[in-house]
Amino acid sequence: MARGLRIRVDYDRCVGSRLCVLTAPGVFRINERGQSSVIDPAAAEETTVLQAAEGCPTMAITVEDADTGERLFPPPGAPV
Amino acid sequence: MKSLSPRLPQVKAQPEGRPRSRQPGCIMRALHSTSKGRGRAMLVQDDLMAPEVIRDPYTYYARLRESDPVHWNARWQGWLVTRYDDAVAVLRAPEAFSSDRMASLAQELTEADREKLALLITYFSKWLVFTDPPYHTRVRMLVNKAFTPVSVERLRPRVRQIVDALLAGVEPRRHMEFIRDFAFHLPVIVISEYMGVPVEDREQVKEWSDETSRIFFIRANEPDRRERSQKGLQKLLEYFEPLVYDRRRHPRDDLITALVQAEERGDLLSHEEVLATCTVLLFAGHETTTNLLANGLLAFTQHRDQWELLQRQPDLIRPAVEELLRYDGPVKATFRWARREVEVGGKTIREGDRMLVVLGSANRDPRKFANPDDLDITRTPNPHLAFGYGIHICLGAPMARLEAQEAFLALARRFPTIRLAVEPEGLEYHPTIIARALQALPVEW
Repeated sequence: MARGLRIRVDYDRCVGSRLCVLTAPGVFRINERGQSSVIDPAAAEETTVLQAAEGCPTMAITVEDADTGERLFPPPGAPV
Repeated sequence: MKSLSPRLPQVKAQPEGRPRSRQPGCIMRALHSTSKGRGRAMLVQDDLMAPEVIRDPYTYYARLRESDPVHWNARWQGWLVTRYDDAVAVLRAPEAFSSDRMASLAQELTEADREKLALLITYFSKWLVFTDPPYHTRVRMLVNKAFTPVSVERLRPRVRQIVDALLAGVEPRRHMEFIRDFAFHLPVIVISEYMGVPVEDREQVKEWSDETSRIFFIRANEPDRRERSQKGLQKLLEYFEPLVYDRRRHPRDDLITALVQAEERGDLLSHEEVLATCTVLLFAGHETTTNLLANGLLAFTQHRDQWELLQRQPDLIRPAVEELLRYDGPVKATFRWARREVEVGGKTIREGDRMLVVLGSANRDPRKFANPDDLDITRTPNPHLAFGYGIHICLGAPMARLEAQEAFLALARRFPTIRLAVEPEGLEYHPTIIARALQALPVEW
C-alpha cells in the first residue's frame, strides 16, 4: 500500500499556472481565486504528485510523507 | 570563452498597435470611453510614449491607479489596467483574455501583406507567448521541465563562473558601461549554452534575434521593419534547422535535443513547432534579463543603504532580487485581447478590445504592498507580478532569478563602492511601452 502524502500549496507563491492541475488533475484543482487547491492527495501515484510539485514554476507546492513528516519536495538544498 | 563585441540594442519606439484608421468601431469606442470617463479627474499627461512617462512611468501609473484604475487610453486605443487585483483578475482568466497577438496583426494587414509575411505569421503564431490553450498548454508542458526551479538550479555553478569571468575582465578598468560590458552578455551566454547553440555562433544569432524583434516596435523611419523582422526570423529558422537534424542523429544533453525527442516521441511537437520554440526560447532569453540586471544595479546605486545591507548579509540575495523585480522590473506591461464582453474593475470591456496589463503599476499598488515606492530587500512575502501571473507566467523566470542572484552577489563582493558615473538625469530609456530598458548605464568603482 502506497504511503500517504501531505501536500501543501503556498498561496504567497502560487500564480495559477495550472501546470500542477494538468500534471495531476485529480489531486489539484484551480479554485475561485485562480490558485491551486489540493482536493485529493491520493488521486495519483506519488511520482505524478512529485512531478507536479517539481513542475511548479514558483515552487509553491510542498510534499511530505503524511506519517513521518519527511519532506519529499522540495529536495534539500533546492532554491526556496 | 569567446567575447562578444559590444552591441547595444537599437533605440526602440512604440510597440505595434492596430492602426487607428483601420480599426473597426474606433469612433464608437471613443464615445464609449468618453461616457465611461465622465466625471473622472482629467489626466495632465495621457501618453504612454511621452518622454517624461518613458523616463518615469511610475508617476503616471500612480495617477491612473488612483483616479481611473481601468483606463481607456484614447491615444493608444486600449485599456490600461493598473491595480494589482484587476491585473491578476485579467491574467488569471485566459478564457476571457487572449494572448493571440498574431490574430490581431493578421487583421490589420492587407491580403498582399499577409502573403508577404506568411512565414512570420506562421512561426510567431506558434510562439508560446502569443498563443492560447490548447496549443499553449501542450507546448508549455513540454518545455516546462527544462525550466523548473530545480532544473535551472543545476546551472548555478556555471552561471557563477560566467559572471566571474565577465567581471574579472572589467575590474582593472575601474569603470564600465554596465549593459554593454556585462548585462548584455550574461543572458546570451547562459541561454545559448543551455539550448546548445555553439559558442562561435552566438554573436550572429543575437544579431538575427535583434532583427526579428523589429516587428514589435514602431520606428519612425523604418517602413520595412516587418520585412526585416521576417528576414531575421528566417535566418534563425535556417540556423536552427540543421542543429535540429544534428540532434536527431546525435542527441546531446541540451534543450534542442529535448525538443527533438518530444517531437520523436509521438505527435507531441511538429517539426515547425520545434523550430518555432527554439527561436522563441532563444529570443526571450536575451533582453529581459539584461534589463533586470541594469535596472537592479541602478536601483542599488540610488539606495546605498540597501546595497550595503546586501553586502553585509549576502543571504538576502533571494528576497533582494524579488524586490528589484517588483521595484523596477524589466517588463512594464503585457498585452491581452478581450475574447468577449467582460467587466474589469467596474468597466465594461468589449469583445476585441486591446488591454495593457500594467505589471509595473500593480507592483507599486499600495493596496498590495506596504510603502510600495521604497526599495526594501528584506520584503517577504513579495508576490510581485514582474513575471506575470497565470498560465503565461514567465517560463524563464527561474533562469532570470538565478542570473540576477549570481550577478548581484558577485557585484556586491567585487565592487562594493560601485556608483553611477553620470548624473542620474543623464540616463535615458528606450522609448517603448513594454520594456523598461536603459540605453546605457555607465558605472565606476
